[in-house]
Amino acid sequence: MEVISARSALLSNFEVLTLLRELESDQLARTKTALRIKKEEEQSGEPIRNYQQPEEGVSENLRTVEFEAIQYLTADYQPLHGQNEASIQKLVKDLEPYELTKAEKLQIVNLAPTETVELYVIVEELEDRLGDKTVEVLDIVRKSLLERAPAPPPQVVDLLTDNMAPSFASAPTVSDPGYGQDVQATEWAGNVVYDEFVDTGEGAGVEGDLEMEDD
Amino acid sequence: MFLLSTIKDTVALQPATFGTPAEQALITELNKKYANRVLHDVGLCICIFDISQAGEGKVRYGDGCLWHKVVFRMVVFRPFPSEVILAKVKSSDEDGIRLSVNFFDDMHIPLTYLPTPSAFDPNERAHFWLPTYEPPESDPDHVPSQHELLDSPVSERMYIDAGEILRTRVEADEFFDDEPGPPKAAEGVMAKKAERRRPPYNVVCSIAEQGLGPLAWWKSSTEMDEG
Repeated sequence: MEVISARSALLSNFEVLTLLRELESDQLARTKTALRIKKEEEQSGEPIRNYQQPEEGVSENLRTVEFEAIQYLTADYQPLHGQNEASIQKLVKDLEPYELTKAEKLQIVNLAPTETVELYVIVEELEDRLGDKTVEVLDIVRKSLLERAPAPPPQVVDLLTDNMAPSFASAPTVSDPGYGQDVQATEWAGNVVYDEFVDTGEGAGVEGDLEMEDD
Repeated sequence: MFLLSTIKDTVALQPATFGTPAEQALITELNKKYANRVLHDVGLCICIFDISQAGEGKVRYGDGCLWHKVVFRMVVFRPFPSEVILAKVKSSDEDGIRLSVNFFDDMHIPLTYLPTPSAFDPNERAHFWLPTYEPPESDPDHVPSQHELLDSPVSERMYIDAGEILRTRVEADEFFDDEPGPPKAAEGVMAKKAERRRPPYNVVCSIAEQGLGPLAWWKSSTEMDEG
């Protein structure tokens, strides 16, 4: 065994997440086919001619690390929810004129800083190199993070007959303009039923950064 | 924090796998060998990314496997020094804080890399930071002792509790290759590993700077004071 190059390329968290998810779906598909074929075999009473049994299965180590890594990368506090391939490419392109090192750009993609203090730990000598442009960089990042799909699970949309999802994300603020009193009553009634709505409560803090309302 | 490493290795494919396409069989074998294991000076291997080159399978005298020389790329976890990552606090003790990123637990913050001034509260089993500490005027460089810090009012302490998510900077990483030595012939009974085995891959982190530490400390939308 020989290590030809210990660091041939750097990967962003998003790329690794995509890869692991693909791997997972492949494995699921294979187990499903295996089960299906086994059932057919039992029913027909004879072994299926052309089908080869897959090897004893996916190694447990791989499944463990895959599962835990996916869990880590899809955690709430990670910005990967608001990213897709196009948005990351755009973000990197937009960061070109600021003369950031590759490592700094990678960290910006991975951490998606929306505050100055977050950017301060990533970029060395922030004031000297960027100075006023710090705010621009933060704006670019903020814009690149796609609006997190408004959290409401499908059931909630049923309760709110006419007034739909997008504004629901800001429901917790009572002073939300554009909503009549009666709709609010429904919203709050809705909130009582859904434990999942605790998410929105937390989300409001995070989404508050993404939605421009706070500006 | 992830990177691609290019590795060359020889893989034996069992005859049972001759039905499946070779690439798939090779990837499965390689994953079995490398996934979730630490490679010295490379990092924690996650999974195979792809196969760059694979030679023809050759049969060796003695078994029926097809041996392939393979060059492949693998996804490896190895945060580089001075990288900032998000990690969860697993536990705290007098020597520091242990961190975890779910799939990898051997990350820790030694006392020297905690924000000053901070101390360990044995009642809460947690470290805390005292951002409002002011050294006495007579001695502006005074570093407070643990005792002084433990006398501080509880409301001013910023605790770092288990399960919190921290923004932390990686300072260094260490690889240990503990090979079991030859059994000592002199001793009658082999002494079972008395000393604690060091983890093969260890990451040292820091939260000493502004902007590092629990995410909640630096969120400007809350009223927490940013020290």
